[in-house]
Amino acid sequence: MTADDKPADPSVGRVLDDWRNAAYNCFSSGHKFCREVCPVLQVTHDETHSPTAFHANLVAMDKGLLTIEDVAADYVNCTQCGACELRCPNTIFAGDFYRFRTRTVDLVKAMRALAVENDIHQPEWQRWNLQTDELKAEPVLEGVSQERVADWAAELGLPIGGETILFCDCEAAFYRTSQPKAVAKLLLAAGVEFGLMREQWCCGGPAAEMGYVDQARRFAEHNIADWRAVGAKRILVLDPHDYITFTEDYPKYFGDDYDFEIVLVIELIAELIRDGRLTLTVPVERRATYHDPCRLNKRKGIHREPREIMRAIPGLTFEDVDHVTQWGYCSGAGAGLGIEKPELTAAISARRVEQAATLDIDLLVSACVWSERPLSEQAAPHAIEVCDLMELVAHAAGLQPLAGLNVAAAGD
Amino acid sequence: MATVTALDDRVLEGLAEIVGHQYVLTSKTARINRARVPSMFAVHRWEEHVPQVVVLPASAHEVSEIVKLANRERIPVVPRAGGTGLVDGAVPLNRGILVDIKRMDHVGEVDLAERAITVGPGVNMFKLNEMLRPYGVMYPDNPASYTCALVGGRIGTNGWSLLGARFGHVRNLVISFEIVLPTGEIIRVGEGGGIKTRSSSSGYRLKELFMGTQGTLGIVTEATLELVKRPEAEFSAFWLQRSYDTAWKTGGELMRSGYATIAGVMLFDERKVDFVRRDDEAYVPQPDWCEAVCAFALYGNRAEVRPAAKEMMRIAKASGGEYVGDEIAQLDWSARHDRYATPLHGRTPNGQVAPMSWHCEDAGIPYPKVPEIRKRWHAIVDDLVARHPIFDDWGMFSYTNGPYKPWGDMLCEIDVGIWEEHLDDETWGAWVDCKREIARASIEVGGTISAAHGSSRAGEVDLVPLELGGAYDVMKTIKRALDPNNIMNPGKYGLDSAYEDG
Ligand SMILES: Cc1cc2nc3c(=O)[nH]c(=O)nc-3n(C[C@H](O)[C@H](O)[C@H](O)COP(=O)(O)OP(=O)(O)OC[C@H]3O[C@@H](n4cnc5c(N)ncnc54)[C@H](O)[C@@H]3O)c2cc1C
Ligand code: SF4
Repeated sequence: MTADDKPADPSVGRVLDDWRNAAYNCFSSGHKFCREVCPVLQVTHDETHSPTAFHANLVAMDKGLLTIEDVAADYVNCTQCGACELRCPNTIFAGDFYRFRTRTVDLVKAMRALAVENDIHQPEWQRWNLQTDELKAEPVLEGVSQERVADWAAELGLPIGGETILFCDCEAAFYRTSQPKAVAKLLLAAGVEFGLMREQWCCGGPAAEMGYVDQARRFAEHNIADWRAVGAKRILVLDPHDYITFTEDYPKYFGDDYDFEIVLVIELIAELIRDGRLTLTVPVERRATYHDPCRLNKRKGIHREPREIMRAIPGLTFEDVDHVTQWGYCSGAGAGLGIEKPELTAAISARRVEQAATLDIDLLVSACVWSERPLSEQAAPHAIEVCDLMELVAHAAGLQPLAGLNVAAAGD
Repeated sequence: MATVTALDDRVLEGLAEIVGHQYVLTSKTARINRARVPSMFAVHRWEEHVPQVVVLPASAHEVSEIVKLANRERIPVVPRAGGTGLVDGAVPLNRGILVDIKRMDHVGEVDLAERAITVGPGVNMFKLNEMLRPYGVMYPDNPASYTCALVGGRIGTNGWSLLGARFGHVRNLVISFEIVLPTGEIIRVGEGGGIKTRSSSSGYRLKELFMGTQGTLGIVTEATLELVKRPEAEFSAFWLQRSYDTAWKTGGELMRSGYATIAGVMLFDERKVDFVRRDDEAYVPQPDWCEAVCAFALYGNRAEVRPAAKEMMRIAKASGGEYVGDEIAQLDWSARHDRYATPLHGRTPNGQVAPMSWHCEDAGIPYPKVPEIRKRWHAIVDDLVARHPIFDDWGMFSYTNGPYKPWGDMLCEIDVGIWEEHLDDETWGAWVDCKREIARASIEVGGTISAAHGSSRAGEVDLVPLELGGAYDVMKTIKRALDPNNIMNPGKYGLDSAYEDG
């Protein structure tokens, strides 16, 4: 079984050169410490798309046993949550010394990009990215359009531009509009000045995650130009996915020219509560647990502030689950998995909700809008409600009653 | 012997009828990624061991139907659990059908009265214990592959646990299990007929027979496991020593001290200390005079561990060694699952960093012979490194070996780094010869080739008949009686020879 005789595209050699060392580092370990923390493998049980296989495929390509055509579809099975990287002994024990880190997420991104460069497409991703390119926002529901990107803010009278800009994720802007509203009201109540972009496009992160790197870059260039045009220096980010894009992808695209301060709204809100600039007085008499969004917990190591906020909510009984235990869980919504394989996203969410259900809770609080749709779908049969942490805070601050939340609501 | 070069559509269709189409994997990547395990791998001969098809069954019934089909068609069947085995057990030597049991991960009721739990072979110990924590119990099988090996593979290898001196090894911790025989019958083996009975004199001891077979006598589909009280107290101590001799003598005294809470006593030799020092600054600093380490760990109730720890510390101190302090001891011990096999520590003789694969010998050696085997093994590996710079000596560890009996013999592990990327027929041949010499030395000092992983790797496997003598002939008789067509993991343990003389 050797790869077809057709000469490989030069792009393949370039990716192999970039990744050969990392691939052999994993291949020669091959111990699979990462397997049991991978949320996708917990539901598929299929070693074909383990982090180990993601690395070994490159060795096999290097040896002429596999081609990009053979492997491309396997790399769909990843939410880019980063759990495997945290669990890898090569990172934990010798990483600092050898300046080496297992970077499975970047590898998956590189392989997806290589597939697209070689004109190998996953049908749903192709459709999604074409539509995103047309609409300038992700087609998260019918009727997404550039004209409606700021509809969520209609009643708030927010200015355009200024030094501080609130960037609103596509899912939040069009689908879960109550979330950005809650964020905006909290910021206004605490006296934080901010405006909106003139013309906000999708951050481009999802395109980059699915391998459509040129498109991702074009979108980034547009957004940066808009930020500069309105004099923005500081970007407030209310979604973990955008936070990754702005703190990891954009700096790679623009290097030293990229001089914006990127602020995660959750961290800012935690600070505002801590400093007494936001006071939470409306009790929420519920039993709740917190869902660590992968991109905060595993990719960015942010797990303290959300818990600090949870504990500040009056009346709430908080059943915490250790953030390390949560490495093995995910909503399954990340990195386009839900677009190409919605059945896997559903199964991964179901597993997360089942774990929450063992805690005898009735509220699952997340801090990532992308997780909330799939988690809600799975939570219904367990009589568990899913809500966003910022919406919960807005409720407790008496700024915006949380729809569906069975508690005494204060006025808007 | 069952070997085929192509599976026809009829066979694939038959498998799909058993497990469902989506669980019959024929893609190149599905098969190529199940051709190897972490043990030394002849990358240049990868293609020879690629299974023809992978199936992911969900029940004992499905496994049984797969095996019956394979038996009718004379196709090799290879069970694969976590794929972490270090003796090529799950490598499909003659290709065929790879049965990946990871979907069989059901977890039964936590029976606190009888202290047992029944699980599927695809369950991992770390995950199981995460689930068991609120109940105050644990399943104490704790190999260095704790987070990645699975119950089915643990039984397939008759694995060894780092806490074995206190809680026992896999053979002591699996109370009973269900297995699909090579002809498809489903049986349960344990202590007599009771699923959770701990001891029985009824009939032959078949449980042990079906453990450590490397999948040559059937496929385990369910296991009932021992639950022990979560220890209230855990104590670990690392003592630096000026010479290997004092480390060995101190270790011997600790092993024979009679404290029932001893979970393990460990020795690091000088080369192992050197290996750990390769990233010293990044990890635990050790003084220059340190030539060896003697460590121990205790687990149990507070009322037992505290006084035992005091006495053990007194014995260790009398050796003239130096205690490394609580923080480092805890760090080092809690890192026991991850730390010693990093490929990044590989070095060529001229000091160049090279990503090397970890090879681990795991012989059981009589305590008095441990210093001798250390010298002999290093000499064998030195000779190999001198001829082929893609190999690297990573030093030797020794651990208490017996279940509940920390005395008498030790699991000795010489670790060798191998730069697999550069293996060719010549270096592979040299490696196999080296393996054989290491195994021969172990047998010559009255030990066993393997205390943990099995002895079915190239090189050592040739000497299994030498180690077992007449018992090896009985193994062949059993193999032929239970697997008349040699379909279960053929080629392993030299058992093809059982079919040679008609
Ligand atoms: C970093 C590292 C550290 C390790 N430390 C230890 C240690 O401390 N102690 C120790 O004992 N081992 C250790 N090992 C070796 C390995 O983890 C064990 O041999 C383990 O038991 C293999 O389990 P597995 O699930 O990975 O099985 P696999 O590798 O998949 O299979 C092992 C063998 O069992 C057979 N098998 C698999 N499933 C079944 C089944 N359902 N029924 C019948 N046969 C089956 C396979 O065919 C194969 O022959 C270590 C390995 C690594 C990589
Ligand atoms: S833990 Fe790290 S080195 Fe080991 S298999 Fe996973 S990614 Fe590879």
